This record gives sequence, structure tokens and C-alpha cells, in this order.
Amino acid sequence: MKIEWQRIGIKELAALISEKLREKGIDTILVGGACVSIYTKNRYLSFDLDFVTHARIKDVSAVLDEVGFRRASSRHFIRRDCPFFIEFVAPPAAIGDEPLKDENKISTKYGTVVLLTPTDSVKDRLSAYYHWNDTQALDQAMLVAKAQKINLREVKRWSEKERRTEKYLDFLRRLRSKK
Amino acid sequence: MLEGVFGNITIEKILFMLYVYGEGYPLGFAKTFGEPVNRFQQQLRRLENAGIVISRLIGKVRLYTFNPRYPFLEELKALVAKAYEFLPDKEKKAYYTKRTRPRRAGKPL
Repeated sequence: MKIEWQRIGIKELAALISEKLREKGIDTILVGGACVSIYTKNRYLSFDLDFVTHARIKDVSAVLDEVGFRRASSRHFIRRDCPFFIEFVAPPAAIGDEPLKDENKISTKYGTVVLLTPTDSVKDRLSAYYHWNDTQALDQAMLVAKAQKINLREVKRWSEKERRTEKYLDFLRRLRSKK
Repeated sequence: MLEGVFGNITIEKILFMLYVYGEGYPLGFAKTFGEPVNRFQQQLRRLENAGIVISRLIGKVRLYTFNPRYPFLEELKALVAKAYEFLPDKEKKAYYTKRTRPRRAGKPL
């Protein structure tokens, strides 16, 4: 299959990379802004694909090399003709201090990508808002929450555990006011 | 004390500094301990790659803090806090009791 690297979409690229790694026995999960892009059909566009894996970077690197992505720093990979860059963030995949309980799978013609559920994607973005007051992350959380079905009760439970109830209520207010 | 766990003494110093002061930068660590700055830069990069610390640029200074999203942060801090209790007073005074309150610009020392 011929790949147009300059025009490939983020979902397709994530699936292609996931599939190539899976073929070599390397499991990954896509986290971060790329999930927001996928769930909002690029209303927020990330150029950064963050994967979590327990495999050694050396093994990951060998697979990515086969598809033309070169290691640019300890955990980043780039391909000159592709607008996206790929990063492997340190495991474990977690939201706050809780391990992920669930995952989502999306299939494309390039393969299947395993990624955060929409609810976990909202929590992931809210985490950045809770800890660093990052309002861009808050906006991204709202975009996902509006585009996808999410479990607000779970988001509330987790926010309370993170001791960020006030910020959660702020998120909820904004979400409802913009509906 | 934690050298055996973390593999080297520089990591221990960084963790104590972050535990006590909440943040720090490579040159500050190097000056405090009278050691080469690249020794701290290298270990801070290692901690950052592992998701244990995060950094942000303030002017030309890269400032490091614990990563609040690190899932084992509470446990790590508890371990560092416990180890800190066992540090000799002499060492605490020498390295971990710097002035942290603000100093107005232009004020003579």
C-alpha cells in the first residue's frame, strides 16, 4: 500500500504505527492530544503522537526505522516528509495516580489503534488543566466531551479524588453553557 | 541513602532539592553541591524521560519540578521525605537551607 506521508491523517498514522509495532509484538496505547484530534475529527489538530509502551525504545526504534521514522532525540521520532512527530512517553499509562481501566480501539485501512477512551481523554486533558491551569487543555477536554459520549460521573469521581472539585465544576459550567 | 535504589548519588541530591525547595535548575544544583552542571543536566533529563520531573523554560533557565501527573509521585515523595529525615544536620544545613524568600531587585546584600 502506497502511503502519502505528507497527507496522511493523524488517525491513519497512529493506526499504521500501532500495527507495525504490534506485528513485532509491541503493544502501545495512544494518549494525549492525538486522542483529542481523533475524537473531535481534527477540530483540535495535534501534530504530536504520544504513545505509551512497556517495550524498550531500542526495539521500538528498529520498527519505526522500517517505516522511515528516525530517532530525533531519546524518545522522539520524525520523518522528513511527514508533518507529525511521534513520541514514546514513559510508562505506565495512567490518569493521575490511577492505571487505565479501559481502552478504545479504532480500525482503519492501515490497521487498528488502541487509544484512551473518550472519558479518559477528557480526564487526561483536565489533568493538565488541574495541575498547570492550562486553558488550552480545558478547551480540548470540552471539545471531546461535546463530540463524544463521556461518563461525567466518572470524571467527577476522579476529579474529587484529585482534590479538584472546584475546577471540575468550572469545566461542567463551561460545558453546559456552551451546549 | 537512596543511591542504591536510584543508581547514583546525583539523583538523590536532585530529589532532595526538589523535595525541599519544590523546584530547581541545573546550574543551581551544580553551584549548591560544587559539581559540574552537566552531571545534573544528564540526570534531570533521565528523570524527565521517565516522567518523574517536568521542566519549563523561564527566560534562559530551564526550571524543574516534580511531575504532578507522575502516578507514583505520592509514594516517591514519601520515600524521599523519609530518607531526608535521616540526613545528618550538617548536610541539611549545608545544602538544603538556602534562603527562599524573595529579595527585592537592587537591594544590597
